[in-house]
Amino acid sequence: MKKISLGRILAYALLIISSFASLFPLFWTFSTSIKNRIDTYVLPPKFFNFQPTTKNYVSLFKIKTFPHIYLNSIFVTIISTLLSLILGSLSAYAFARRSKFRGRTLLDALMIAVRALPAIVVVLPIYKLSSYFGMYDSIWTLILLYAGFNIPFAIWLLTSFFNQIPTEIEEAARVDGASNTRMFIQVILPLAAPGLVATGIFISLLSWNEFLIPVIMAGENAKTLPVFVASFISNKNLDWGPMAAAATVAMLPIVALTVFIQRWLVTGLSSGAVKD
Amino acid sequence: MGLVRTSKRKHRQLTRPIGHYTLGAWLLLALTILIPLLYGIYISLLDINLASFLPPQFIGFKNYTTVLQASETWATLRITIALMALGMTIQIPCGILLALALHQQLRGTKIFRSILITPMLLTPVAVGLTYRFMFDTDLGIINWFLGKFGIESINWLGSQTSGLMAIVIVDSWQSIPFVMLLVLAALSAISTSLFEAATVDGASSRQIFRLITIPLITPTLLVIVMIKIMDFLKLFDTIFMLTRGGPGNATTTIGLWTYKTGFVFLELSRAAALGVMILIITMPVYFLWRKSTRNVR
Repeated sequence: MKKISLGRILAYALLIISSFASLFPLFWTFSTSIKNRIDTYVLPPKFFNFQPTTKNYVSLFKIKTFPHIYLNSIFVTIISTLLSLILGSLSAYAFARRSKFRGRTLLDALMIAVRALPAIVVVLPIYKLSSYFGMYDSIWTLILLYAGFNIPFAIWLLTSFFNQIPTEIEEAARVDGASNTRMFIQVILPLAAPGLVATGIFISLLSWNEFLIPVIMAGENAKTLPVFVASFISNKNLDWGPMAAAATVAMLPIVALTVFIQRWLVTGLSSGAVKD
Repeated sequence: MGLVRTSKRKHRQLTRPIGHYTLGAWLLLALTILIPLLYGIYISLLDINLASFLPPQFIGFKNYTTVLQASETWATLRITIALMALGMTIQIPCGILLALALHQQLRGTKIFRSILITPMLLTPVAVGLTYRFMFDTDLGIINWFLGKFGIESINWLGSQTSGLMAIVIVDSWQSIPFVMLLVLAALSAISTSLFEAATVDGASSRQIFRLITIPLITPTLLVIVMIKIMDFLKLFDTIFMLTRGGPGNATTTIGLWTYKTGFVFLELSRAAALGVMILIITMPVYFLWRKSTRNVR
């Protein structure tokens, strides 16, 4: 018995220490974002004993382009996620119900390439191509690219969800004379709704966080939040307050999301690891 | 994801051809991945420089010989491999330990799990910004904390060794949860009757771990290694935010070097050649990954 309780104590200690390590940077970012300069650049650091201020956020929202950038991020995230979900669920259904069809091997290879290749290898030629077609600095280009880079995850995840749906249900619908399309929309999609939600959340996270594509493909017009956040270190004089405020604003929706949708998340997060 | 796989033959009787359902995905991937890849191979044979106004010339494999002879190519490749090795030796054991702790189903496991996965969801660029001021030499909280233990201030982002350490620390903060989740899934898939039987037979907990747990999670560990190799090749945001690959090129990985060649030195064709090389380097990883995932189910 003694041994077991020792193991428990160790496990608790490990979990508590690592939870602290996971949360502290978040606390520290937030606390820096509501400090005045005199409370920021001091040693020993001030954890709680300071006068909070909203100054850093005010200066952030005073930046004229900021609302535009935030809206860009939201718009690109939502539309590209929808696109990946629509095209991804159609493909995933084919993957789940047919082991072989024309072009499957190449499609598989392309999806793996997306997962394995550094995005720069693909984005570099895209940058060159986009100048021919006048597609540089457009949010529609970003939407298309995000969807392309994320659709493999959608397909892998949704395939595993569709696999869980027993074929007997389709059999019954088939007897009733349902066509493929009707069956897909009226029978399969509603049954896979939890899977669609989980996939959608996971993919919107990927889109929200994406940096390499917009840093190359977006100018002032299509700029997204991560590019804006990154621009805080381009000047030599690092001002921690606004930096922390910008980081907080980028991470806040995600933290809110994790609190509310725990159970959908875990499925999505391990996706792309074990594929079908 | 432990899923029941229904028999393929049954599907075939049931469904009419639906291969064309993949057309949309096909079109999207062709447009965003396949065509750019092919075009990338094409421009790697030209001499495009973004600063030059001369029409591009076809120069064959000259970019490749230049790239292969450049010391930066090999230096950045070595740095990438060093990061991989360092990162995996930290992340995989930590991920396993945390998974084992969570797997004990102690009270509060769900809350701990929620807290622990939070870092992996956050925007890497914002995380980099946060650590950027936490790593500050004079006023950063990390050096202050280490100072409590008598460790002198480290110029984290100012040298190769400490810079790579800093990158690995930040990346580990974000990717240990991923390893943890995958190992946790593998642990949960092991039938409890196996453990019970072993306990009845008088096996010690150490024996159980060594003879049952480890062999049964090994396929998952292989998958994790493959994914980590791919992810370290892809690692960009964190390095970009923390060190920009500096000082000099001391923390530049091959991916970041490709970016610099193309968008800092404006040698687009040479960068494309580097890209094709990365494609070739990662080729074996694809196959190993596909093989390793097959064993997991």
